[in-house]
Amino acid sequence: MKLRVNLNKIWSFSVRSALVTRRNVFALFEMLFWPLIGIFSVGLLTRFLNLEGETVAFILIGAVTMNTVQIAQLDLAYALLYSVWSKSLKHEFIAPVRLSHILVGSGLVGLVRGLVVFVIMGGLSVCFFDMDLGRAGLAGLSLFLLGLFLNAAIIGALVLALVLRFGQRAEVAAWAFSYLMLLLCGLYYPVSVLPGGVQFVAQLIPLTYFLDYFRHFYGFPPVSRHPLLYGFGQTVVYLFISYGLVCLTLKSAYRRGTLLRLSD
Amino acid sequence: MQPAILAEGIGKGFRTGLWNPVKPVLRQVDLTVAPGAIFGVLGPNGAGKTTLISILATLLLPDRGRAQVLGMDVVRQASALKGRINLAASGSHFLWCMTVADSLRFYGRLYGLGGRALNHKVERLLDLFGLAEHRAVTFERLSTGLKQRLSLAKALINDPELLFLDEPTSGLDQDMAHQIRGEILRLNRETGVTMLLTTHNLREAEMLCTEVAFLKDGQLISEGRIPDLQRRLGLGDHLSLIFPDSPAPLDYHRLPGVLHYTVQETRVDLVLDRVDERLPLLLEAVYGTGTKPVKVVVKPVDLEEIYHEITR
Repeated sequence: MKLRVNLNKIWSFSVRSALVTRRNVFALFEMLFWPLIGIFSVGLLTRFLNLEGETVAFILIGAVTMNTVQIAQLDLAYALLYSVWSKSLKHEFIAPVRLSHILVGSGLVGLVRGLVVFVIMGGLSVCFFDMDLGRAGLAGLSLFLLGLFLNAAIIGALVLALVLRFGQRAEVAAWAFSYLMLLLCGLYYPVSVLPGGVQFVAQLIPLTYFLDYFRHFYGFPPVSRHPLLYGFGQTVVYLFISYGLVCLTLKSAYRRGTLLRLSD
Repeated sequence: MQPAILAEGIGKGFRTGLWNPVKPVLRQVDLTVAPGAIFGVLGPNGAGKTTLISILATLLLPDRGRAQVLGMDVVRQASALKGRINLAASGSHFLWCMTVADSLRFYGRLYGLGGRALNHKVERLLDLFGLAEHRAVTFERLSTGLKQRLSLAKALINDPELLFLDEPTSGLDQDMAHQIRGEILRLNRETGVTMLLTTHNLREAEMLCTEVAFLKDGQLISEGRIPDLQRRLGLGDHLSLIFPDSPAPLDYHRLPGVLHYTVQETRVDLVLDRVDERLPLLLEAVYGTGTKPVKVVVKPVDLEEIYHEITR
């Protein structure tokens, strides 16, 4: 009974995110238009530069990763931003819901949307730019995707914390945060090309290791000897930290009256 | 009987800027609300009404004091309490692209409802609030009145034992406000749900509330049933007797319930403690003098007078 009640609460946020996606042109643009532009602009650039097959794969992996993570994390950020934009935050928080209901419910839609983007971009890469997406095998691909989605969850949770703290002013973070992280983790280039200090920062980002892991199937030697171990290890730590941070900001929002201010 | 709301020494302040001092919004507010009552919290804008209701509705943590709602502490037992209360507020907003039915289903699921139970509840509320024909209309396309009805319907999705109504008719036209007030009274009568209502509309409080409390500058300055407040303040109902000629002399002061009176030419103005009870005896005494008034005008005391007396 209790499980069903909790599942209904989680489902409510999933349904809401799905409805918004279905009924808003901008949400469909996010999922279809920009990824298409992304994959073709990058793919055609590699063709113009006459790059070798492995290097093309290296860059296309970056393009697919960027859009997949971005779309998946946005749904978590939207979980509260929808409420902030519609000024309904107090109606959600007067109900007996926990942060975990919001995160899991919205995260599930993010997962589905991210998968759709991955499949579309991956498919186009295979069809138009001769990329061999299956080289890592099903297990390798699944681990890579798991890493991407967990990182999207970390970014989404951090954006949630910012929204709870700064309200609508923080909405820019929903887009900016992931791009910054993707810039540092060696999206279109190996992290070795980054300046020394920035390389150290890159090593603190789990996505660096997941990209490293997936690219080694295409002949690029991994910087770390155990990229999955480092990647998942850091991810677990960051997930705990980001969840704790969201809980703390929510408590602070209850004290400071942020929930009410964002509902006015 | 355990009160539905028991608040003791509630205090809350907000900082308006990083370096600015905390500005107190509520100071030492004590409040007791009986189960099944429609309790009105009255006061001008900025008096602290919404802050008080938000604390009691678990949306805001108090800085000082403690409050119990339905026997549960609003801070320590907030999670369990949330399932037993709900809120309808003026100008409530829901997600713009969700239809009326979608919105009710969304909030129903937040309270753990699902499947047939949820569908049944949503259908019932759509019928109850005359929203059935608008079920597929998105929130952004609803009129203000329909939005307010949706807000009330949403507030009943979990069959709350206590309902917070924050300025429920604010911004509505007269007809719609009248309809909403009717709904509130009907709900209270039919379900026995306790209601805490904030308003700065004294007439509305008079129509709806069994008890009221007045907030001014974050402090509760008076509280009680409207007739009790009237008595406590020495305020009475107004009665005017208009005669064709100068009225025969009569010592009105000696009549029971007369608080004071004035005689001006053909008119006698009286203030009575309770006009409905005193009028027959008073008219009998007037008729006994051999003169009959041609017109009797009764104006019961209203909350506005009470409010002005209290906040003077």
